[in-house]
Amino acid sequence: MSVGRLLRVGTGLLTLTLLLAGCASDPGNQPLDVAGGVPVGAVLALTGNANVYGQDQKIGLELALQQRNGGGGINGKPLKLALEDSGSDEPGANAAFTLQINRGVLALIGPTLSQQAFSADPIAQRRGVPVVAPSNTATGIPEIGFFISRVSAQSSVIAPLAIEQALKIQPGLKRAAVFYAQDDAYSTAETTIFQKALKERGLDPVTVQRTQLNDQDFQNQISAALREKPDLIVLSLQAVDGGNLIRQLRELGYRGLIVAGNGMNTPNIYPICQKYCDGLLIAQAYSPELDTPANAAFLKAFQAAKGGAIPPQLTAQAYTALQVIGEALVRLDKRQPLAGATLAAARKQLMQEILAGTYATPLGEIRFTPEGEVIQSQFFVAQVRMDPGGRSGRFALLK
Amino acid sequence: MDAALLEQMLLGALLALSVYLPLRCGQLSLATPGFYAVGGYVAALLSTGVPAFAGSGATSPLPALLAEMALGGALAGLIALAIGRPVLRLRGIYLAIATIALVEILRVLNLNLPFTGGAMGIFGIPQPFEHAGGYVLFTLALLAVASWLCQRLEALRLGRAMAAIRDDELAAASVGIDTPRTKLIAFVASAVLAGITGALAAHFFNSWNARAGSFDASITTLAFVVFGGSRFWLGPVLGGLALTALPELLRPVGDLRLILFGAVILLGPLFFPQGLVTAERLRGLAAVLGRSRGRGHQAPQTP
Repeated sequence: MSVGRLLRVGTGLLTLTLLLAGCASDPGNQPLDVAGGVPVGAVLALTGNANVYGQDQKIGLELALQQRNGGGGINGKPLKLALEDSGSDEPGANAAFTLQINRGVLALIGPTLSQQAFSADPIAQRRGVPVVAPSNTATGIPEIGFFISRVSAQSSVIAPLAIEQALKIQPGLKRAAVFYAQDDAYSTAETTIFQKALKERGLDPVTVQRTQLNDQDFQNQISAALREKPDLIVLSLQAVDGGNLIRQLRELGYRGLIVAGNGMNTPNIYPICQKYCDGLLIAQAYSPELDTPANAAFLKAFQAAKGGAIPPQLTAQAYTALQVIGEALVRLDKRQPLAGATLAAARKQLMQEILAGTYATPLGEIRFTPEGEVIQSQFFVAQVRMDPGGRSGRFALLK
Repeated sequence: MDAALLEQMLLGALLALSVYLPLRCGQLSLATPGFYAVGGYVAALLSTGVPAFAGSGATSPLPALLAEMALGGALAGLIALAIGRPVLRLRGIYLAIATIALVEILRVLNLNLPFTGGAMGIFGIPQPFEHAGGYVLFTLALLAVASWLCQRLEALRLGRAMAAIRDDELAAASVGIDTPRTKLIAFVASAVLAGITGALAAHFFNSWNARAGSFDASITTLAFVVFGGSRFWLGPVLGGLALTALPELLRPVGDLRLILFGAVILLGPLFFPQGLVTAERLRGLAAVLGRSRGRGHQAPQTP
C-alpha cells in the first residue's frame, strides 16, 4: 500500500466519521424527559478573564436550586440544573450552548458576557430555547429574538446614577477623566453611556484614556490623565484590570472620587485593589439592604453558605434568573403538565410563561416587556468600605 | 459529537493549513489570525450592510457566502501581497515578531475604524445554512479542496521549490529558485486561505469582533501545527481538529479540563518533537497496512 493510497483511504474514513458524527438528531421533536428531574441548563464563564463573574453567578444558581427543590421543586418533580463552562470567549459560549440544547434542556441561563451573548443567543433563538440572561447589560440583547430575555437591567439605566451620586457628594466637580478598555465590548458600551451622562451634567471629560483588557500596567494612561488634574475619575473596566488601575491610580497620588461601572460590581475586586478600593462609587441593580421577604430568604441562604458574607449583585441576579425559570415552570406545569409535551412545544410555552409573570425576587419585584427586557423598580448606589486590614470590605448603600 | 463542534474543528484545521503553508517554505509566520479577522469583517460587513448579501430576514443566500469568501480571501491576499515583500526579508524569529506586530496592528485598526463596530464588533450576521450540519458539509468540502491542493504541492515545481527553501535557502537560491517570489506565494496563499476561513467563520459564529485576530489566536493556531507536525499537510489538519476538539471532549473531567488540555499541548511536542504526523510514521503505517493486507490475500489464517 503506497503512502498516496493510504492517504486516500484515511481521508475517506475521516470524512465518513465526521459525516456520521454530524448527523446527530435534534431532540426538539422528542417528548420531554422529566424522569430524572426537569432539565434546565446554565452556561457561565468559569474560566478565562471573566471567571470572577462566573464564580459569583455559580453560587447564586446553586442557592436558587436548593431553594426551589427544598420548596417542592416543579410541583413535586425536582429541578435539574446542568452547568457548563463557556470560557470567556464566543466559541466557548457557542459550544456550551449547543451542548446544553442538544442535551434537551428546557431553558438556558447565561452566558456571562454580552459579547458572548451576541454570538450564542442566536443559536438558542434559532432552536427555540428560552434564554434568561443573568448579567448581560449591553443594549440590544433581548432584541436578538423572542426567546431571549434578561434579568440584568441594561447599563444605560444604571450607570448615570453613580455620576449623580458623585455630584451629590461633591457638588463642585469640574474635571472628569474617563478610562475604558478599548478591546472590550462591555467597557466600550458603558463608557459611551457614562460620557453622555457626564456631558448632560456639564462635566465634559477632560481626558479619555484607552486601555486594553489584559493590561497590567497603566502608568502611561494614569500619568497622562493626572496631568489634566481631574477631580473625578470614571472607569468602565472589568474587575481585574479595573482593580489594578485603581490601585495604581492611588499609588500615583490621585485622591479624588472614583466612579466605576458594572464590571467592578463584585467583591472579587477587594483582593485586587485592597485598601485602595475604599471610597469607590458603584451603581447597582441589587442591594443586600433591600427589605423584602424574597431578599431576606436569599440573604439567609447566602450567608449560611458563605459564612456571613454579603452577596454581590451577580449572585443575586443569577439567583433571580433561576427563580424566574423555576416559578414559570411551576405555573406552566400546573396549567398543562410538562410530562406529556414535546420538548419544542414545552420550550415555547415556557418562554411565554416567563414573559407573562411578575416575580418577587431579591432584586425587588420584576416583570418583563414583551421583548424580554427586565422591568425593575429600584436601583441603588453603593460605596466600597474596606476593612482596616484592607483584605475585605463591603458595598455600603448610599441613600 | 455534535455538528457545531465539528464545524469549529474544521475551521481549526483550515487555519492550521494556513499556518502550515509558509512553514512549508521555512517561514514562521504568525499572521494567520490577522487575515482570518480581515476575512471575517468582510463577510460581516457585507452580509449585515449590503441588502444583496443579506438575503431575506435571518437567512442569506449561498452565492452571497461564496462571493464574501472570495472577497475576504482577496482582500487578505492583497494585504499579504502589499506587505509580504518587506516583511519576508526577515527570517525565523524576526519574521515571527513582525507578523505578530501585523496581527496587533490589524486588531487595533479593527477596534478603532468607524465601521467595524469597535470592541462590540458586528452582530446579527445572517445564516446561509439552517443547521450546523450545512456548515459542516460546506467546510468539509473546503477543507478537502485545500488539502488536495496541499497534496498537489508535493508533486509541483512550486512545492518542491518551497521544500528546498525550507531545507536550505542559500542552496535553493543557488540552484536558480526565485526564493523571494516563492516565499511571497506561500505567504499570500496562507493569507487567502485564512481570509476565506474567516468569512465562513463570521457567519457560523453569528458575531465578529477584533478578538478573532489576537495574539492568543496566533499562538493557538501555531500550536495546531507544532502538535500535528509541519512536514506534511495531514499534520496540521489533524492538529487543528484534535486541539480544537480536546477542550470540549474533556468536559466530563470538569474543572481539570483546561489543565489536562495544557498538559497535552506540553507533552505532545515532548514525545513527538516533529509532530504527530511525519513522513517516516506515514510510510511505516503504509508498510504495516500493506503487509497485513498482502498476508490476508496469500495465506488465509487458520483458526
